[in-house]
Amino acid sequence: MGCSVPANYPNYEAAVMKVGEALGMEFEYMTDVSCCGSPNLRSIDYFGWLVVNGRTLAIAEKNGHDIVTPCNGCFGSLKDVQHHLKHDEKDRLRVNKELKKMGLEFKGTIKVRHIVEALYTDIGIEEIQRKITRPLDGVGVSIHYGCHLLRPTDVTEFKPEMLDELVRATGARVVEYPLWKQCCGATVLPANEPLAIRLARDKIRSMKEAGAEYATVVCPACGNQLDLQQIGLKDSYGEVYDLPVLLYPQMLALALGINEDAIGLRMNRVPADSMLAHLKG
Amino acid sequence: MAEAKQVTGPPVTIIEPIDMSQLDSKFRDEIRSMPNGEELAACFACSTCTAACPIANQWNYKPHQLIRMILLGMRSEVLSSKEIWECLTCFQCQERCPQKVRITDIFFDCKNLAAEEGKVPEKILALAKELVDKGQLYVVTAEWEREDLGLEPAVPGLSTDGIKQILRGTRTGRLAGGGT
Repeated sequence: MGCSVPANYPNYEAAVMKVGEALGMEFEYMTDVSCCGSPNLRSIDYFGWLVVNGRTLAIAEKNGHDIVTPCNGCFGSLKDVQHHLKHDEKDRLRVNKELKKMGLEFKGTIKVRHIVEALYTDIGIEEIQRKITRPLDGVGVSIHYGCHLLRPTDVTEFKPEMLDELVRATGARVVEYPLWKQCCGATVLPANEPLAIRLARDKIRSMKEAGAEYATVVCPACGNQLDLQQIGLKDSYGEVYDLPVLLYPQMLALALGINEDAIGLRMNRVPADSMLAHLKG
Repeated sequence: MAEAKQVTGPPVTIIEPIDMSQLDSKFRDEIRSMPNGEELAACFACSTCTAACPIANQWNYKPHQLIRMILLGMRSEVLSSKEIWECLTCFQCQERCPQKVRITDIFFDCKNLAAEEGKVPEKILALAKELVDKGQLYVVTAEWEREDLGLEPAVPGLSTDGIKQILRGTRTGRLAGGGT
């Protein structure tokens, strides 16, 4: 689950759990783990980042479970470390020397997936469509995939079409926009905040100009940049976009007929009331 | 025909000449020995990385120039640049490089070398301290919000001891001053 989702986006966590319940997925919280360290840890301490994530992977191996995460930060770190340790024997030996002290060993035997990938592969589009009781009925949604879900492609092995199809499965329409590949700016917040705000603004504007009524994200850091940052844009740029940003499992939950309070829809900073009005027709 | 304008003073150059005595010829090998640095020398300076970068417009050193600077041995300029820390890590440059140079990964290597010399931006150093002291970057403070949503007030299974213990023994611990 990582650290950002439970602390900052319990609405995301709740939506994942509710959707899982409705679709018959069983999740188990991982024990004895906390944070992936984020790209910041990778920047200052590559080896520490390898050991922290190598440990998380080794714990999952020991328990015999695959890892599913709702956070692009965790996903990117875990996938990258797994990829590196599988391909670099010298580092694998160094990391395993550290893990041995904790009674663990990295072997590279489990799968790491983002929650949307698990929905796509384990449940499947047809099954999801079959369970939709309240289709979102053509509302225009722009997708922000997030950098660490998509790239580097040889590491993440994620195809953006998976999320496109999942959004369409809810009955919504995917609104394509020019800056779909661009970063939300979250990673540069500690080094240069005005630059981070500019990037969020470019992204939101690109969606809005393409005709998006809503945006959807699958990462707490991206969610922060695109949703919460809209409030800041009133001050910094004098611009109001009013583009509600839903975590994808929230969208799916609404289409599955789950109550909006159970998925904390009111916690989203830009109110998504119009979606509810639309659903009530 | 207009007379040619008389030019006085030193000739205008596009780039300040490099002081070759300051170059570190071992820098390229240092980077090449680091994670995903092997392809460094394949760069032929086509600038595709710079075209792909969403923030290169406001950088003094563009991504292709930074790679060239590494190859030339401009170690101190690269490691003290603001650019390596502003890299979004969006991997757009790396994804499009026709020579398969792992540019974003190489910038991570540069940041690790800068960190080894203690050159880390203040706010990133603060994050390092958080990781060593608390074992996570974000800590649950609004338990009631979680409870309202039917979630356990504390994250099930969470334990921060493992990460704290690891990072106290690595560079993060040294940067953060040994932790608490």
